[in-house]
Amino acid sequence: MSVVRTDVTKLSEEQHAKLAHAVMRRQSKLSIGVAAIFLFILLGLPLLNHFASSFANQQVGSFTLTWLILGVLLYPLTWILSAYYVSASEKIEAECSDWRAILGHEAGEDLEPEGVGDVKPAFIESDILTKSEGSND
Amino acid sequence: MTEYGWIPILFVVLITVATVGMGLYATRKAKGAADFFVAGRSVSVMSNASAISGEYLSAASFMGVAALVMKNGYDALWYPIGYAAGYLFLLLFIAGPLRRFGAYTIPDFAEGRFDSPKFRRTAVLFVLLIGFFYTMPQMKGAGTVMVSILGWPYWLGILVVGSVITLNVALGGMKGITFVQAFQYWAKLFAISVPIFILMGVYGSYTETMNTMHQDLTTIPNILHDSPIVMKGKKDAPLNVMSLSPMRAIYLYITDAAVLDKISPSKKIKGSDPMPEGVIQAADVPDRMQYDSRAARYEKLMTQPDGSILLPAHRMIRINPYRVTSNGVPVTKDSKPVRNSVKLEFRDETKVFIPIGAVAMNAPTNGAWMHPFGPLTSKEGYIPLLYTYSLIIALVCGTAGLPHILVRFYTNPDGKAAKQTTLAVMVMLGIFYVCTPIWGTLARAYMPVLYANNSTDNAVIKLPMYMDNHLVAAILIGITSAGAFAAFMSTFSGLLVSMSGAVAHDIYGKMIKPTATDAERMQMFKYAAVGIGTVSMLLGFAAKDFDIAKMVGWAFAIGAASYFPLLLLGSWWRGLTRQGATAGMLIGGLLSLSAIVSFMLIEKKILHLQLHPLMLMFMEQPAIWAVPLSLLIMVFVSKATAKDIPADATLKMLRLHAPEEMGFSKNYIEH
Repeated sequence: MSVVRTDVTKLSEEQHAKLAHAVMRRQSKLSIGVAAIFLFILLGLPLLNHFASSFANQQVGSFTLTWLILGVLLYPLTWILSAYYVSASEKIEAECSDWRAILGHEAGEDLEPEGVGDVKPAFIESDILTKSEGSND
Repeated sequence: MTEYGWIPILFVVLITVATVGMGLYATRKAKGAADFFVAGRSVSVMSNASAISGEYLSAASFMGVAALVMKNGYDALWYPIGYAAGYLFLLLFIAGPLRRFGAYTIPDFAEGRFDSPKFRRTAVLFVLLIGFFYTMPQMKGAGTVMVSILGWPYWLGILVVGSVITLNVALGGMKGITFVQAFQYWAKLFAISVPIFILMGVYGSYTETMNTMHQDLTTIPNILHDSPIVMKGKKDAPLNVMSLSPMRAIYLYITDAAVLDKISPSKKIKGSDPMPEGVIQAADVPDRMQYDSRAARYEKLMTQPDGSILLPAHRMIRINPYRVTSNGVPVTKDSKPVRNSVKLEFRDETKVFIPIGAVAMNAPTNGAWMHPFGPLTSKEGYIPLLYTYSLIIALVCGTAGLPHILVRFYTNPDGKAAKQTTLAVMVMLGIFYVCTPIWGTLARAYMPVLYANNSTDNAVIKLPMYMDNHLVAAILIGITSAGAFAAFMSTFSGLLVSMSGAVAHDIYGKMIKPTATDAERMQMFKYAAVGIGTVSMLLGFAAKDFDIAKMVGWAFAIGAASYFPLLLLGSWWRGLTRQGATAGMLIGGLLSLSAIVSFMLIEKKILHLQLHPLMLMFMEQPAIWAVPLSLLIMVFVSKATAKDIPADATLKMLRLHAPEEMGFSKNYIEH
């Protein structure tokens, strides 16, 4: 187990809410984005089959187009999407691994790194600070 | 083939001995409850990913997908992609948070999230419900393989396989099976991939076979060998049905006198006259070897007053297609006369000999098979589209709702490892699933006799049978049989561990005797494994008549309407209350369960109901209404009971989502 000296569970409800918001918002945005790309293709394919059947059933090599997509190509797509997700998600976690940084900056207090996360996360610069200006990316 | 009949048996014995042996070896190292239930949370990413894939690739994936592709063509491709895509959604929304929350089982999560021991009961109920539903197809797989390779009765195969696995689990627990299941993934991958490449070299490649089917979309493959088959009787309905193509006359040779319980037109054509008498005829030559279709004379076989037809013994039976008429006028389509044939329903188990060259019975045309919305969904209007969507929802959401898979994420050291594991799992599953439609395609072209007696579930086991080199054929059958064994052994083990864990840890350890020691809980785990194993075998006897992959689809549908909404909202919405989660799970899960069970009873002709096709579709594939219903109920009831949001709900959200370094995560039970 990693060493945690301060009991983070003793922080105030307000501070917890702030932390939860900071951590969950970026993760959920990433997850929903990746899911949307995949769902667009997965749920679009039956529509293509139904409303453009001659296009979907055209011969591509030895297969029909729609067979090639569903029977072969969708698998590598899931790999690409999940590989992208895992690396992006790990990056987000690395950027908000220090609660002091998130709370400190939000509350305008001095940072007192205490054995955990000595490096000021890039996330602070890129996200929280610009949030008030309305650009999240 | 017969002189090498011992080879497949040898392979099956080897994989079974290897499984039990490895289980016992690993068990000696298992110490204490944490090892027993979650393998000490210390399994590496690669071996955990192999173990998850090994556990997930069940009889449905190994035998069922190929079978369903053979039977239904394109539409069946949704099954493997759904099984694989489910992991993407598990990865995106559930894997990380669930591991971080740090509980032993899903009921632990359910209770921990709402601080409610009561809620645990609902969660445990669904572990058992989904588990039992999922064991049925595994048991059918075991029975079917033993029938194919050993000629054992169906029930004996189930009894032997079920007992071996039950004992193995009772002795080893989770630590024992992690190691075994990792091994079994690689065994299954080998068994699904290597033989199919050899078979493509012998029979014809995937692309060649598909090309041949493109040539004529209206045709149906011919049976390529003289084939003795056994038709099931009425008690195994709908397996007793033989639906004939109107392409040309069909000949069958009947050794013993038999009864056709019913004959009816194979295609229903609106407004057509009743079919003519005498389409079924018997030749006057008693010996099959002397039979000559041109010289033979035929007598018409007449329908008895109860609608049945008697087939005389030792006769070649001819069934002629007939022209469809409406009020006595021939019906035409594209200025060609429309022809139809008949659907035979056998009363008792009957030995039927099909001569070479017959048009495969019960088989869809190339076009219906290759194009979307074929036999699996073939109904009018928007129903096929809705069916497809419902299936997708069930499979995608259901993967994230399978308790025996979810419990595996707790064997990861942390949330980050849980995500990496899921990624590795998706690659492993994808490679496996790309191979399965090749089996279905080759089986359609080169072994269409499997359509005739509705035994497409055997495709993976039987396909090598017609190779000229009998020794190689026997070895390939041995490999695929061993793969099938690995498939249902690993999945059944996983289900047993998860269900026995629920009984020992949740029902006994938390509800009945909270003071129970580790030793007592482990003792209870063993008793539970034996009890649940027995019930599973009994359910397996009842599951004989349903497609393996379809049954698994049903387990997914129930999981999708119960666990998936709980885990999704429980992980991402602070406002979910115990009441909301309970109401959503119970209503969504139990309604889908009853819809599916009613559909099964209608299909087996136990329940006689005339329902609109749309209604039937909603019963067969409930996910499209049940998942949104369950989610909505959770949201509305939670809003109404907002005062019961746990006081530390925010802290719980942090435990689910904050990176481990932040210090919120803790294991539900420390070790």
